Amino acid sequence: MNALHIRHLYHRYGLTEVLADVGFDLYAGETLALVGPSGCGKSTLLHVVAGLLRPSEAVISSTFRGIGCVFQEPCLMPWKTALDNIALGLKALGVPKAARRRQAAALGLRMGLGEEDLAKYPHELSGGMQSRVSLARALVLSPDLLLLDEPFSALDVGLKAELYGLLREQVARRGTAVLMITHDLMEAVRLADRIIMMVPAPGRLVREFVLELAREERTDAWVYRTTAELMQAEEVRIGFGLAQGELPPPLHEHARHGGCVV
Amino acid sequence: MKVLTRLRGALAATLGYLWSGWGAVTSVLMFCALWEYGARIHGDLVLPGPVATLRRLAEMFDSGLAVPELAISARRTLYGLGLALAAGSTLGLLAGRSLTTAMVSRPLVTLLLGMPPIAWLVLAMLWFGMGDATPVFTVLVACFPIVFAGAMQGARTLDNRLRNVARAYRLPWHMLLTDLYLPHVASYLFPSWITALGTSWKVVVMAELLTTADGVGAALAVSRSQLDTATSLGWIVAVLGLLLGVEYLLLEPLKRRVERWRSGPAA
Ligand SMILES: Nc1ncnc2c1ncn2[C@@H]1O[C@H](COP(=O)(O)OP(=O)(O)OP(=O)(O)O)[C@@H](O)[C@H]1O
Ligand SMILES: [Mg+2]
Repeated sequence: MNALHIRHLYHRYGLTEVLADVGFDLYAGETLALVGPSGCGKSTLLHVVAGLLRPSEAVISSTFRGIGCVFQEPCLMPWKTALDNIALGLKALGVPKAARRRQAAALGLRMGLGEEDLAKYPHELSGGMQSRVSLARALVLSPDLLLLDEPFSALDVGLKAELYGLLREQVARRGTAVLMITHDLMEAVRLADRIIMMVPAPGRLVREFVLELAREERTDAWVYRTTAELMQAEEVRIGFGLAQGELPPPLHEHARHGGCVV
Repeated sequence: MKVLTRLRGALAATLGYLWSGWGAVTSVLMFCALWEYGARIHGDLVLPGPVATLRRLAEMFDSGLAVPELAISARRTLYGLGLALAAGSTLGLLAGRSLTTAMVSRPLVTLLLGMPPIAWLVLAMLWFGMGDATPVFTVLVACFPIVFAGAMQGARTLDNRLRNVARAYRLPWHMLLTDLYLPHVASYLFPSWITALGTSWKVVVMAELLTTADGVGAALAVSRSQLDTATSLGWIVAVLGLLLGVEYLLLEPLKRRVERWRSGPAA
């Protein structure tokens, strides 16, 4: 089974430490939600996993091949139409033009982008349309590992529900592993198998919540109740600044030299 | 509804282009009026008017004098400019890729830009003699830094996030070129290409005037020695006409096509 293992991940921008002793595992078919206050280093962690940023220190092993990445901003190529933006990764894989356009158009339509929207350039699209194009660009590849940085934050309730379905289908069909950053605890509860709470200064993981119930059986009532329970957790309250208190600092010295065990 | 707005946008853009064309024509006509006024004051010997000049030009075309000379000059311009565009764009892009090379090449570019073309011409005469190579080389060195600077600027300003996208989606190198660098850089390159085009004609005529036995510049030298102001002006108008033609009929529409993604309601 494909898996990603990270241990003792440290990252510094200059002298500021933004990630300290981060470690987690992610297996195929699993959805892991990463929550935490703004600026705690979630996007940085995602960039490390995507291989776009070389961490200061880390032990990382990953067997995932195809990675689909959705960045916090849509980051579309401004000189390509929405359709060609969606098809970017397919083009890189050498899929012929007609085939990749057909796939991209089919997915675009499923995500509520009309024929004429797909012919538009990014500056002619609304913010929500742009983020859907960005999500489609990753999904169309049917990747093994999907990295999502707040992919649904610019969308309305109806669209969110629609796209949740699309994502779940992808996970079920392809056994895709998903690492998802979100600010929306309810979204995390609805979609994830595990939720990891992250806190800043320096960015570290302080608590992991496991949601046992199968995703198909999660009713709205269950989601509300579980979210409310989650909000009662001490780490969450302190992490989001809802309560006073101190969370344990990272175990610096010990961790830094124990980096060879995976 | 959406189709309609798009159509209206396209229509507005086309009208805009045509309108800018009218603006250009108007300003040229204004210039001609001033020119005619000057001709009335100074007389035909010193400054023949636009009508007299155009008549002379037509005669030059009819007698088969103009076309071969223009073709020779155009060929030299084309070679020199082509080399400058290719070398300047490629090297500029490469230089812009790293901060170090960009910092190293910036003062060199300033130096090259500041060097008067006439100085290059003298050197070229010494190195290449009186053949085709002299004007071609002079055009090359005069235009190269302009294009190089444009390309380097383009490469340096590329959004880092787009670069990340390209890496995350594993674009192979040729796609990096065609889907990332070139479209972005084109918006910096085109203005520099247009500037280079203007410079190249000026430099070719100057180089021919001083070094070669054929081409527009050489013909200008002959008409000057015969004190034939009308013919001289005829040549100048012919060169300017060619320049305007290439810029407005070829480069400008090309630029609009390539930068379609920029225009629209927001731009
Ligand atoms: N390129 C950079 N250079 C220096 N510091 C950076 C850089 N990128 C991010 N940081 C810092 O790293 C920290 C974490 O940033 P990051 O973008 O990972 O936060 P985040 O958890 O994604 O926040 P948000 O939820 O607001 O997106 C921040 O304090 C930020 O100032
Ligand atoms: Mg972020």
